[in-house]
Amino acid sequence: MNGPQRWLAGALLLAGSTCGHAETLPLADVTLSSDADTVRRGAETVVTVCMNCHSLKYIKYRDLLNIGIDRDSLNLWKGDKDLNAPLLSLTPADMARASYGKVPPDLSLITAAREGGGRYVYSILTGFYTDKDGNTNNHIFPGIVMPDILGYSFAGNKEEQHQIEQTAADVAGFLLWAAEPTAGFRIKLGSAVILYLVILTALLYLWKRRIWKEVDHDIENSIRES
Amino acid sequence: MSNDKLIDGDSGAPSNEERRDFLETGTKALAAAGIATACWPFIASMNPSSDVEAKAVATIDLGGLAPGKVETVEWQGKPVFVFHRTDEQIADMRSTQTQLDPEPDAKRVVKPEFLVVVGVCTHLGCVPNRSGPDGWLCPCHGSLYDNSGRVVRGPAPSNLAVPPYHFDGEHKIILGKA
Amino acid sequence: MRKHLRQWIDTRFPLTRFVKHELTEYPTPRNLNFLWNFGFLAGFMLVLQIATGVFLTMHYKPDASEAFDSVQHIMREVNYGWLIRYLHSTGASAFFAVIFIHMARTLYYGSYRVPRELLWWSGQVLLIMLMATAFMGYLLPWGQMSYWGAQVITSLFGATPLIGDQIVIWLRGDFSVGDATLTRFFSLHYLFPFLILMLVVIHLVALHTVKSSNPSGITLHAKENIPFHPYFTIKDFFGLGVFLIIFCAFVFFKPEFFIEPDNNIPANPLQTPKHIVPEWYFLPFYAILRSIPDKLGGVIAMTLSILVFTAMPFLDRCKVPGGAHYRPVYRVMFFVFIVDVLVLGYVGANPPGGMLTTAGEIATFIYFALFIILPFTSQWENRLLARKKDLPEEALRLVREEVMEQYIDSSQEDKQ
Repeated sequence: MNGPQRWLAGALLLAGSTCGHAETLPLADVTLSSDADTVRRGAETVVTVCMNCHSLKYIKYRDLLNIGIDRDSLNLWKGDKDLNAPLLSLTPADMARASYGKVPPDLSLITAAREGGGRYVYSILTGFYTDKDGNTNNHIFPGIVMPDILGYSFAGNKEEQHQIEQTAADVAGFLLWAAEPTAGFRIKLGSAVILYLVILTALLYLWKRRIWKEVDHDIENSIRES
Repeated sequence: MSNDKLIDGDSGAPSNEERRDFLETGTKALAAAGIATACWPFIASMNPSSDVEAKAVATIDLGGLAPGKVETVEWQGKPVFVFHRTDEQIADMRSTQTQLDPEPDAKRVVKPEFLVVVGVCTHLGCVPNRSGPDGWLCPCHGSLYDNSGRVVRGPAPSNLAVPPYHFDGEHKIILGKA
Repeated sequence: MRKHLRQWIDTRFPLTRFVKHELTEYPTPRNLNFLWNFGFLAGFMLVLQIATGVFLTMHYKPDASEAFDSVQHIMREVNYGWLIRYLHSTGASAFFAVIFIHMARTLYYGSYRVPRELLWWSGQVLLIMLMATAFMGYLLPWGQMSYWGAQVITSLFGATPLIGDQIVIWLRGDFSVGDATLTRFFSLHYLFPFLILMLVVIHLVALHTVKSSNPSGITLHAKENIPFHPYFTIKDFFGLGVFLIIFCAFVFFKPEFFIEPDNNIPANPLQTPKHIVPEWYFLPFYAILRSIPDKLGGVIAMTLSILVFTAMPFLDRCKVPGGAHYRPVYRVMFFVFIVDVLVLGYVGANPPGGMLTTAGEIATFIYFALFIILPFTSQWENRLLARKKDLPEEALRLVREEVMEQYIDSSQEDKQ
């Protein structure tokens, strides 16, 4: 690498390191997976529990067939709604505003709209605690209006806590899928594209070297170098 | 070309020539394949999106349709006539033949009691109106269709189109899939 | 058959002559390094952005009540919509990365100097057009960052004396950023790339008039040029391959890297996000804007920070042709500038306060100071280099002539 090349690499690395966002929230150090089973279990919790207050307006009931939800469960969940209907909250917006002061956010993009993504969702659900005055609060979102729906703050023992952590991980996994249902295909296609490009670029390099053989030789022998 | 000297020199033994060809043609072929593949997502994006595809199949409930009555439903942006035919009407259609676009009634229905046809005149696309108990009359240029949707009088050239559909039980039709 | 067709065309249109003269036989210095690939990459990115943009427009709805939903429709329901969207959003960042490296090459190797001033200035106009296009495009997804970024930047025009407020309302078509703003930004965002395309043609005509410079900065002998085809066609394609690997790695594996989380929340005119941050390619200029406490002063400084590049052909007085290759002083100034821009970028990315604000102010000062001292340092460099022995003959001659002239002038003054 010559001088300018080395500096270019350094500059890019420096720039890259400053582009990351500072994580100021104490998010849980958990690895989340979006495998098929997690997403299915998460779907059940979200549709039967979270959708009492939250909507997922960019997901249609039909989309749940793609993650392996069986027809019977789906029919149970959607009731008499059309298969192409969006997943809407059971609580209408104005009622929610009257009860909570604000409308619970739509969850379709929640993992994309928060720093930390899936970990943020997991940390909120497992971040509930009871403070010294007996009120429920949340480590990640102090003063949160959402109730401790999974019951983490009043879990009886370690086993119950672990159960709830599992559920929270499933919910996070499902919501990660919901934010971008095509992500799995994107990564598969990407691997194929990168592999193709590496092979093509290698061939182009060999061809370039052959075309330039004589000229490179001449340049090395000449006085004036680049 | 003047730069031939600068490319592969006289050391070109036959094997060098062959290698040049393999590298050159191989790379060109790979690149061409890649470019063609890269065009596909753009072309595919112009196809109907998944929400439009979902509406390409509609479910029709026949429960409330009395004999002799026609119901018009929307499917793929077009009107579709669902006609619950009486026994006389069925018998009548079985025994008559039309001249302009001959087709036996039996071939135009899945179950004889229900006629399902796209309500778009095959002349220039107007929607025919139900005209008495015997058929449809197009208001634009006077084409006449019988109770099997067959053209009886022009200027329409062919019978009303029969869309792909199948029965899901006794009282439900899935429109859009045969 | 092919030969007949070509002859038929050639008697009616200078096709073969043009292709030979401007492409296949076009003389190019043989010592160009990889940094000369970036003009081609910029052209490629322009074509890619236009192609992906046109196909996105087939599904996008430029209306405040539908825009955000239409982007989700593209991501979830349009066949390969997610791919076209990510190519376009990542492509904007890739375009700027390529352009910045392209500019850095020009500054480092002095390719803005005589006789390439018009080439440089057409490039400046292209940069400004690109920035405008990117700024307007960013509003289109109608997310929180889209909305508030547009709100903040359009309100800057209010700093104009006397008519500031009217200009802002005229620009937005409304009293704050709204549907009217969105629709007109969409119209212009579609238009500008085609104006850029036309300007690129002018840029290339200017280039072909003076031909490429080269890393040494000294015009090579004719025999040291080689035909563009096949040498630089293959080199450009190879460079494209390397570039595409990096680009596709982002598109397929980390597309969210360039999308602010807040932009996945629909625009809310009643609530500003905690940290408003422009896209990374605007950060250094944003930092300069913020380091001047006065609103009008900040806007002027930011505008000058982009326009100051135009003055380079006049600021640089060194007689040694080319750029940093033979000039140690200029080389140091160049790298100080690069580090300074990176510092400004970091300052722009973070909320203002304490040490960061001071750092931003110092970095802004250094930014402009480098340009201001260039006429003086470049003349000092002339005298330094006149004493060197290892410069090429032509360079030495030019520098010594200049120094001798100054010596003769000053000694004549003494005699008087």
